[in-house]
Amino acid sequence: MQKDKFFRDIDNVTHPNERLVKTHCSYCGMQCGMNLRVNTKTNKIIGVEPRYDWPVTVGKMCPKGVTAYQQTNHKDRILKPLIRDDASLKGTQKGFREASWDEAYDLIAKKFSELQTNYGKDSLSVFSGVSMTNEKCYLTGKFARVALGTRYIDYNGRFCMASAAGGFLRTFGVDRGSTLPWTDIHETDCLFIAGSNTAECHPTSMFRVWAVQERGGYLIVADPRETPIARRADVHLDLRPGTDLALANGILHLLIKNGYTDEAFIKQHTNGFEETKEVVKDLTPEHTSFITGVSVEKIERAAEIYGKAPNAIVMFARGVEQQHKGVDNVSAYCNMALVTGKIGRPKAGVATFTGQGNGQGGREHGQKSDLLPGYRKITDPKAVEYVSKVWGISPEEMPKPGVSAYEMFELMNDKTIRGLYLLCSNPAVSAPNLNVVRKALKGLDFMVCADFFLSESAEFADVVLPSVTWSEDEGTVTNLEGRIIKINKAQEPLGESKPDWQIQVELAERLGKGKHFSHLHTASDVADEFRLASKGGNADYYGATWDKIDKQDGVFWPCKDEEDEGTPHMFHDKKFYHPDEKAKICALPYRPPAEEPDEEYPMRLTTGRVVYHYLSGNQTRRIPFLKDMCPEPYVEVHPHTAAQYNIQHDEVVRLYTRRGESNYKVKITEAIREDTVFVPYHFGHEESINLLTIAALDPMSRMPEYKVCAAQVEKLN
Amino acid sequence: MTKRRLFLELENCIGCRSCLAACTQCGGHEQRNRNYVYDVNPLVNRQTMPLMCLHCVDPACARSCPAQAIQIHETGAVLSALTEKCIGCQNCTIACPYGIPKFDEEQNLMYKCDLCIDRTKDDIPPMCASVCPSNTLQWLTEEEIEEKQQRHDLGNDKWVTSMPYLEGETNVKINLPGILEGTTKLF
Repeated sequence: MQKDKFFRDIDNVTHPNERLVKTHCSYCGMQCGMNLRVNTKTNKIIGVEPRYDWPVTVGKMCPKGVTAYQQTNHKDRILKPLIRDDASLKGTQKGFREASWDEAYDLIAKKFSELQTNYGKDSLSVFSGVSMTNEKCYLTGKFARVALGTRYIDYNGRFCMASAAGGFLRTFGVDRGSTLPWTDIHETDCLFIAGSNTAECHPTSMFRVWAVQERGGYLIVADPRETPIARRADVHLDLRPGTDLALANGILHLLIKNGYTDEAFIKQHTNGFEETKEVVKDLTPEHTSFITGVSVEKIERAAEIYGKAPNAIVMFARGVEQQHKGVDNVSAYCNMALVTGKIGRPKAGVATFTGQGNGQGGREHGQKSDLLPGYRKITDPKAVEYVSKVWGISPEEMPKPGVSAYEMFELMNDKTIRGLYLLCSNPAVSAPNLNVVRKALKGLDFMVCADFFLSESAEFADVVLPSVTWSEDEGTVTNLEGRIIKINKAQEPLGESKPDWQIQVELAERLGKGKHFSHLHTASDVADEFRLASKGGNADYYGATWDKIDKQDGVFWPCKDEEDEGTPHMFHDKKFYHPDEKAKICALPYRPPAEEPDEEYPMRLTTGRVVYHYLSGNQTRRIPFLKDMCPEPYVEVHPHTAAQYNIQHDEVVRLYTRRGESNYKVKITEAIREDTVFVPYHFGHEESINLLTIAALDPMSRMPEYKVCAAQVEKLN
Repeated sequence: MTKRRLFLELENCIGCRSCLAACTQCGGHEQRNRNYVYDVNPLVNRQTMPLMCLHCVDPACARSCPAQAIQIHETGAVLSALTEKCIGCQNCTIACPYGIPKFDEEQNLMYKCDLCIDRTKDDIPPMCASVCPSNTLQWLTEEEIEEKQQRHDLGNDKWVTSMPYLEGETNVKINLPGILEGTTKLF
């Protein structure tokens, strides 16, 4: 299936005393196929071998993927539960002692019960993540609502995919990250990529991107920096951070004005065109150029290429989504595909580059404060009734919607939330405005953290539970295409570590909720219940059995039953998921970033990834090769700006905003706008750029505006 | 069996250095990477390029070796020095026009790319080309390489991205930056 021109039948090399376990990478949404090399005598993972027969990535891996296996038996693994008796040491690595699981569970059950008795059910919270399997994500939602009975659950997808989700839901009525499989990308005629540093963040997409250009197709990239992908773009739209909505509206203006619209498609399959036309009327190339800083010629050329392209794919990522108008940006870029009818057929559509391994699946099945499995709304009585039945509770017992990730920290600071169970996330590095977040964690009455390394967030915990890495458990994840794939177990859990689902089952039993959890003995048991819970929802996984996933090289949701092979191409029948089956072209007036530069803070600060690190760096900063390649953060400054500040390459400067400050080594490069500085966000403690970022939240997705705020640079001594 | 060669398309490089990480994964490489990726002009742009052993047909490293420690495999791969023969003189590191052989100060031994000979002898791509996310490093047949090189030779006496060889004839083939110059646009 889906064997394209990049696919080759290649034998794998198996060394003596080794076996290969087929699986996928632990990191980003690409979920590159890989084989883990396991020593047959020690039964330990010792290396990696390409997985040439995985149709999406055909053996390719980025440096994170190649070295991912080094996490499993890493010397920093937490091997036993840790308890800290002296709460004054919170925020440091000090004071932990090893304990038995029994002692840790007893302490957690006692403290959680005390808090709920004294302050109510909702005094507890769960903060989760999506770098783990669907089975774990699903059970975490159930654990919060059934075992703890709290409304306060949310997850790090709010810092990652929430705006893409919000935009897709509004525009299409369904949130599947890509309307087409990745194997279409190299066959399209034009890629319009906005706010994605693809070469560093999703490197294994690049051979398909370059193939478009090799065929004579076009690459248009919108990014404030000349990233490795922008360097080779036919048009690089070098916009000011935070002005995407103006750019997208400006391009829409030209598509309409120059007759590139598909009137029949607009009429039959969309709503909202006339209002939108009115809104973008003023976004002439000159006005768009004034707001975005991109030249009129480039804007006109980009619109002409996209308009003329027989097939085109609009793609975007956190650059456009991590803004306080991220949802609007997503819908505005989707407008381009809708007015030109370039969607709902092979080689044409829209896609977001999912940041985390299971960023897609993890947001669909009930870790979000307002969602239940199958992408059901917790405010929908029918959804509550169905899921309650699967969970064996009465609908009245189902907690109400909670609040978004960042808002949970605010509730911790005002003592509404007093206890936290944190897993699969490191918000002490990854959340915005960290001074507020770290204060919230420190002030908690009781905090549990499950992780396989002692993260910066674990440093605030009273109890740390050792969870397993991805390679010591099995289950499914949903990659950036919307393809459900299988992660396989290659090694037994190291030390006394346990999979998160097992921890939750055992903890639920201690909390007296065993009857809802005790039947779950394996990841496969969780999978069966999870598929049933998703049945009938928009994100229907019922038919995606592990057997079918194995046989078909993955299953694209929705997949409703045993016979259903899944849905690689969305909207093939031109039917969208709104009740009238039409997509919504959205009229979205431009609004500037929450914090514009001024005299005191004249620079625009933007943040992002480097190719060597993943998210908060809790995993990748421990891998020697990756650490060697990028040991510390830095601030990228244009040489003209550096001259104004009289600062040199490699000089350490103070960077500060209204919220915080840090010192960074200067990296001078012409590949950034003169009005913008960039710092990678993978670093902890005083190196975290999120000490400086702003927590201006999108009104719909509650996504913080990581991608732009006002900053100042100061030369030291 | 079809005989394939390593082919470098330098324009494609995105600087991820996955090739270096993967190099350590070849069973015979003792966890040490054997090639290089350079930032071409780091203060100006993000262009990068790999510098891999080109496996010369008449390799200067082997010719300069007084101990005949550097053997040439029947596939044309120029192997790493035999540890029992290498005398650590470093002649090879000086002789190589591309600066490929590395020197292990502790063991007093040279080591270099052997084109993952335990893979490529069976026509399995070397680790670097297997993982390369941007197709900068590819494992291609003679015909595929010929087709690529013709496509990139504009025949206008101005810009030729593929030359027969650089310093001398090599088993690894290269397309220099500029591969898109001759592309005919679709529309």
